[in-house]
Amino acid sequence: MKAGNILRENNWKKIFGRGEVTVILAVLTLGIIFTIFSESFLTSYNMFNMGRTAAIYIFIAIGQALVVIVGGMNLSLGQIGGMTVVGAGYCMEILHMPPLAAVIAGLLVGVLAGLLNGFIITALKLNSFVVTLATSFIFTGLINGVSQGYPYNDIPEGFTFIGREGFLGIPFLLWLAAFALILLGYFFKYTVTGRRVLATGGNIEAAKMSGVNTNKMIILANIGSGVFAAMAGLLWISRTGSAQPSTGVDWMVISFAVAVIGGTVLKGGVFNPIGVFFAGFLIVMVKNGLVMLNANIYFEQAYLGLILLLAVSLDSIKNIINARKLKESLKRETIKQ
Amino acid sequence: MLALKNISKIFPGVKALDDVSISFAPGEIHALMGENGAGKSTLMKIITGIYQPDMGQIYLDGKQVEMKNFRDAVAHDINMVSQEIQVIPDATVAENIVLDRLDKFKKGPVVDWSAINETAEQYLAMVGLEINPADKIERLTAAQKQLIQIAKALSSNAKYILLDEPTSSLTTFESNNLIKIVRKLKERNVAVIFVSHKIEEVLELCDKVSVLRDGKYVGSKSCQGIGRQDIVKMMIGREETDEYLGTLDIRDEKVLEVKDVTAYGQFDHISFHLNRGEILGFYGLVGSGRTELARLVIGADKMDKGTVYVNGTRARIKSLQDCIERYGIGYVTENRKEEGLMLDLAVSTNISITIWSKIINKLRKISVKKEVDSVNSMIEKMKIKTPTIKTKVGNLSGGNQQKVSIGKWLAANCDILIIDEPSVGVDVGAKKYIHDLIWSLAKDEGKSIIVISSDMPELITLSRRILVFKDQKITGEITGLNEQERSYEEVSEHIGRLMA
Repeated sequence: MKAGNILRENNWKKIFGRGEVTVILAVLTLGIIFTIFSESFLTSYNMFNMGRTAAIYIFIAIGQALVVIVGGMNLSLGQIGGMTVVGAGYCMEILHMPPLAAVIAGLLVGVLAGLLNGFIITALKLNSFVVTLATSFIFTGLINGVSQGYPYNDIPEGFTFIGREGFLGIPFLLWLAAFALILLGYFFKYTVTGRRVLATGGNIEAAKMSGVNTNKMIILANIGSGVFAAMAGLLWISRTGSAQPSTGVDWMVISFAVAVIGGTVLKGGVFNPIGVFFAGFLIVMVKNGLVMLNANIYFEQAYLGLILLLAVSLDSIKNIINARKLKESLKRETIKQ
Repeated sequence: MLALKNISKIFPGVKALDDVSISFAPGEIHALMGENGAGKSTLMKIITGIYQPDMGQIYLDGKQVEMKNFRDAVAHDINMVSQEIQVIPDATVAENIVLDRLDKFKKGPVVDWSAINETAEQYLAMVGLEINPADKIERLTAAQKQLIQIAKALSSNAKYILLDEPTSSLTTFESNNLIKIVRKLKERNVAVIFVSHKIEEVLELCDKVSVLRDGKYVGSKSCQGIGRQDIVKMMIGREETDEYLGTLDIRDEKVLEVKDVTAYGQFDHISFHLNRGEILGFYGLVGSGRTELARLVIGADKMDKGTVYVNGTRARIKSLQDCIERYGIGYVTENRKEEGLMLDLAVSTNISITIWSKIINKLRKISVKKEVDSVNSMIEKMKIKTPTIKTKVGNLSGGNQQKVSIGKWLAANCDILIIDEPSVGVDVGAKKYIHDLIWSLAKDEGKSIIVISSDMPELITLSRRILVFKDQKITGEITGLNEQERSYEEVSEHIGRLMA
């Protein structure tokens, strides 16, 4: 078998074969289009703002990617974010706790919610779809029950600093997102646990048979998902200066869109930090650019859905073509023998 | 007459069928035999339209036909009773029998249950089943379900019926009954294509036997006046039986000892041991307990009672992680695609998964250099053909995938290896390579190996001692294989006696 010959592509093909290149090209193309058609697009004010939103989208996407990597999903991601927001807001406004304590409380909400999801999925051997669907309703109920639907506006000045200021003209939020992605890139490449999480997503049975405690990995991934949702929630408070109970309701599509466009394979086993970074920008640009182009904003969700569908189909089409090519070439080799 | 002319079917890396021509005549019971991987199931799938041949034609009564799927085959009066019994458990007996034509039984807009049951009763009588057609099918035994499938085939007016190892899960009494039914089918001028591993059964029942080997048609013979040896010769060919690998340096030291393993409802006090440097064979049919026992030992499933000793000391294997990291036992699964490999991940990941925890520095960072070195040396050692170490394992051929599946345990430097169906789904060349590899692991590196296989020539070639499994019991042990050269026929007959 000489599969080598057909798989050895030229360098250009190799560069374009990488997942993140498509996203970067899409970001550039959209950027050029919006710059041409709108004067206010390429302004430092707009760039700064987009950077802040993209950063939070990246956190949301990481929250989803972590569970998608182990072959699962988290439909309660937005609600975990919402609970964190309400929890932190409640701590600060009602209990008059200092911001740091409120942050810790918020993160704790994320850990516990993720642990709950992960524990139910592994202990009862249930599908992550049904489990997180059910918990998303539970969490929604808790959000509404505690907040009664009212926002907490008594947020200390120090809390909004991270969400509104920047360093070297780049928002703190974006620095944080980049840092989180680098950390995760390291985690998945250089730590045993990170590798085992990826292996679990690659094929849970094979990972188990190779000595990986897959239940532990699934629980870990779900806790990670909860923590990143919580961080996104806290940063959202910091960005807007108010703890809105409605935070998170639109996160589900965004989380999948950014994660998948960023090269996170829905079957699991793959994480691409660079891809996720640019995918965060792509989604923000679509939303932002549509406003600039005076598109009907009521259709926004439809555009996002279409983009998500396009992203998953492209990946799938690529796989089908590759599989067919491989089979043909192997067939030729076999006949020759 | 159903005639296959020059049929070839190619899968990535394997020529599953190579220029096969066979014909099946009405009123004839025609056995199709061959070892695992010989191409029987591919041929059956081509006859029933599930696969399409890459080359060659199919003729029905002289006319060329093209079947794109199973429905086409049924429309051409071809039907199949598969090994995995395919019935809809929640439906009734009658519904299962007339399933394909449920829409024909209507009284106005609603289903005509009495007509369905009447029709079903008629076909049940043909296969000698006295059961109520309105019964739920899940209550029936495996043998009865098989007869239901035959009734279903008859009800679709099948003139060609394929039986895929129909007696493999039946008791002797049930098998005899089935054989009677098959004879009746012959009287009804049906062409029966009978796939079986059981030579005696074929000789007794069939008119004609055709043999496939390595995807090629070896020949057909009338079952009149031939014996077991003639068929064996056709099935395995000469070259494999004569392969004698020599002797191993087996020490009288138990590296693995399993005592009184009990799993309620499955095993009752099973014991065995493995010596250092030995290749021990587990022979038995699928479901006889070989794989299940191995899974209990390695901690993949829980045993209720029993003790395991590794190198003479009591081993408490609670999980697969224990088994690998604390006791150095590796298990190469028979389900490569489901349990062995992460097909969408890189070759390197698939090989190095067992060593990650061993190649970290003080800061718990994995040394990518050590990982790459280890993977490269394994690729070289095992002659794994892959474009790069980053290539997805799913893109390799079956033989190379199997090498990766074994390679990860060699990378982990396991002293004890349990290899389940080492050559399942690989071609002849890769099979030979894997056999040589297993042999050299024991001979040159002193590893202790358990080979689980239902491929008798493979097991006899490799093993220096064989345990025979039947119905979750070890029915016997064949020893003395390391001390003297024994003929294939002698050992296979011994196994046959232990299986009876």
